[in-house]
Amino acid sequence: MTTPTETPFAEFAETNGAYYADVFLKIQKSALGRFHINTAALFGSFIWAALRANWTLFLIGFVIDLIALVNLSLYFKYAGAAIENADKEFLVNRYETWAQGHIISALVVFVLGRLLFGWLADRLYVKQYSKWRIDRATPSGFSLSRLGMAGLIVLLIVPLMLYRSSQFAPDERSCIRQDRAIAAGEEVPFKAKFDCFMIGEFPTLIWIDRPDKVTYPRDDNGERTVLRTPAREGAPPVTLSTFVADKIDNGIGYLTVFYGVFFDGITVFLRVMLNAISAVFVGTPWMIAMGVLTFAAYAAAGTRIAVFVGVSLFYLAIFGFWQAAMDTLSLVAAASIICVVAGLPLGIWVGKSERGRAIFTPVLDVMQTIPSFVYLLPAIAFFSIGKPPGILATVIFAMPPMVRLTALGLQQVPETTKEAALAFGANPRQLLTKVELPLAMPSIMAGINQVVMMSLSMVVIAALIGAGGMGYIVTEALENTETGRGILAGAGIALLAMMIDKVVQRASNKT
Amino acid sequence: MTAAQKDVVVCKNVWKIFGDRADEAMAAVRAENLSKAEVLDRFGCVVGVRDVSISVGEGEIFCIMGLSGSGKSTLVRHINRLIEPTSGDILINGTNVGDLGPEALREMRADKIGMVFQNMSLLPHRTVRDNIAFSLELRNVDAFTRTQLADKVIDLVSLQGYGDRYPAQLSGGMQQRVGLARAMAADPDILLMDEPFSALDPLIRRGLQDEFLELSRTMKKTTLFITHDLDEAIRMGNRIAIMKDGEIVQIGTPEEIVTEPADQYVSDFVAGISKLKLVFAHTVMQPVAAYETAGKTVPPVADCPTANPEDDLDTLVGLVVDQSNPIVIQDAGQTVGVVTKDALLHAIKGEG
Ligand SMILES: Nc1ncnc2c1ncn2[C@@H]1O[C@H](COP(=O)(O)OP(=O)(O)OP(=O)(O)O)[C@@H](O)[C@H]1O
Ligand SMILES: [Mg+2]
Repeated sequence: MTTPTETPFAEFAETNGAYYADVFLKIQKSALGRFHINTAALFGSFIWAALRANWTLFLIGFVIDLIALVNLSLYFKYAGAAIENADKEFLVNRYETWAQGHIISALVVFVLGRLLFGWLADRLYVKQYSKWRIDRATPSGFSLSRLGMAGLIVLLIVPLMLYRSSQFAPDERSCIRQDRAIAAGEEVPFKAKFDCFMIGEFPTLIWIDRPDKVTYPRDDNGERTVLRTPAREGAPPVTLSTFVADKIDNGIGYLTVFYGVFFDGITVFLRVMLNAISAVFVGTPWMIAMGVLTFAAYAAAGTRIAVFVGVSLFYLAIFGFWQAAMDTLSLVAAASIICVVAGLPLGIWVGKSERGRAIFTPVLDVMQTIPSFVYLLPAIAFFSIGKPPGILATVIFAMPPMVRLTALGLQQVPETTKEAALAFGANPRQLLTKVELPLAMPSIMAGINQVVMMSLSMVVIAALIGAGGMGYIVTEALENTETGRGILAGAGIALLAMMIDKVVQRASNKT
Repeated sequence: MTAAQKDVVVCKNVWKIFGDRADEAMAAVRAENLSKAEVLDRFGCVVGVRDVSISVGEGEIFCIMGLSGSGKSTLVRHINRLIEPTSGDILINGTNVGDLGPEALREMRADKIGMVFQNMSLLPHRTVRDNIAFSLELRNVDAFTRTQLADKVIDLVSLQGYGDRYPAQLSGGMQQRVGLARAMAADPDILLMDEPFSALDPLIRRGLQDEFLELSRTMKKTTLFITHDLDEAIRMGNRIAIMKDGEIVQIGTPEEIVTEPADQYVSDFVAGISKLKLVFAHTVMQPVAAYETAGKTVPPVADCPTANPEDDLDTLVGLVVDQSNPIVIQDAGQTVGVVTKDALLHAIKGEG
């Protein structure tokens, strides 16, 4: 019969071995009380964890106590501020509310946090025991020497955190002013310098001389030239961010001025294409358009969806969104067509060529993570505002799934099927058109569906740069706080999206 | 097989080593005669085919058999150059396949060689008819002719009425037949059949084997037939090649393989095989002279059952039942030998 102190549990825990032997045994038997709390951990918190060399628990306990401590310090800061500004009633009110909030937070975090910690302690500590069973080098037992390490961490962090929470942080502008003052040779108190460096925004480390101002005026012959105007004498330096942004602006300016023909060409192409499509949607009397669209939905996707489309169109019409909705549909159609026509060959290239894959996979990855409205920036920069840049931004935003899913579809064609086609004498073109593309069709169709849906969402956002349509009604409603109208238009957009999604999905399932 | 027959498919010292360091491995194998395991160990390369030389005559059904991974599929893929050999040559009707340009290679694949794949590899988006007509379509045969030819082959494999179904709507055995039909649609001279019947239950398999034998007798196709089933190889093959670790360990007629296995590997294969239909009277009979020197006399022919030298053991067993006299083997009216019951039993046990 072994007493608990002789078990490996106790050997692991050393000090207080009997207690841990008992607890660990219960844990292994799933017999630990649901509310079991380790009292030593409850009171000792991160110090207990450090003594037992469990650094996960140390972190948890330390963060809990730190949050409580910072809240406490904030309480004193605001309570003090309330007394200081006793003459200004509105400030007193505000500071007192804040102070109250922080003291409550401090107490709640401390009490609940400690309870949580005590509850977690043994349950996590047993994991350390399991590790130690496998690898005896895992720290075990109880040792005062570990307090040094813990103390160091606490000393490094706590004073700074307390200082930060007890002071009012300087704002960025005054820090920049202060930087300039230092550059001009003025004396600045250490505390001000320290505050700017440690407790405000990340300090501005790099200052760069103000760059030349670049413009592109016409010369006497009407030709554009590059004119550099040096910054005026003694102009203050600029931050790295301003400097680089300025360089980018210059580059874009240069391109639009000297290669304007190229961008104008694209604009004209997009406009012509859009006009052709609008002629169908917008240029047709509402009655005919509604009938044709509903019938098209019927032909492509069956009765139920046709009814849905008819009702949705009626909703749009009766609430006065008909023109806007048709505008939006035209934009979506134009963008989707470009996406498919350009994305399919690109997808084939990415799917079939090692080089294409290497080039495009990272590009597509990045493109899909960029928030949609960021795409508006280059569109405006090169094409100014209106529908063509709207389409362009939409195309860039909605193209990736087309490329990706086409490539994926091609890669999923079984090697053996391709081999069979080759064995019967298929040439590369026949292999592509008769085997690979048909087999990739479901994936390509999914790509088209995604393109259309993403186009719709982007076209709505492109209203911000003047693309018009339903998105314009929503932005207008936002500006004028016409909540009701905004909601009606929003619902209209949702109906449009559902309509398109259902029809495209059904149609693609049919093929 | 008569010696005068012309060789349609010839492989000369074909080697295939898979892996990035194949050439290095090839050189080392040449120099040091490494085994498959040693090559894998030293170069991380797999020896798929090892110095294989075969020649298949016109109209012959040449079976290749061996355990899984012995290199059967790899070997036949060389014949239509789906795989390039690491070393060695493949000749088809005297033309070196390795020398063909892309266009000539495609032509040869489309016109001369039909292939049935181990996993069928039908095109799921095409109907049975369009699958079968695939090779014709690749050669730009017009739709009308295509349909007619395809329907003819559909009849041939007894899939009437299934032309407009999709492969997924057919059973495994029917799909196998579609694969077979597809291979034959362009009327190729050479058929490469990679375990075409392996995924089938014994009854369907039996039926398809008979169908195929019937077809190949009438259409005279040179066939390379892969199987890992010796029974099937014996039923189908004029000759059988046995592969092991990429090498051919024995080539011979079914009877040669069964009666004279080249090594333990082949004997293990052959062990469970019934000899009744494979061994013939002329191999087990004792010449009359030898029989009589043993001190026995042949009873009068009229009292004995008689058989031809070409009769198999199965027939002999039928004759000897309920008889006390030995079987007299007669060739063109002449008595050429004697088979006693004991000799027959030994032969059936494979101790002939
Ligand atoms: N593409 C490849 N790359 C690397 N190794 C391969 C490749 N194809 C085949 N091998 C290897 O070549 C050897 C022979 O394979 P093969 O497919 O020819 O066998 P098999 O005799 O047809 O077997 P099974 O009866 O299972 O079809 C195996 O060891 C396999 O791992
Ligand atoms: Mg195989």
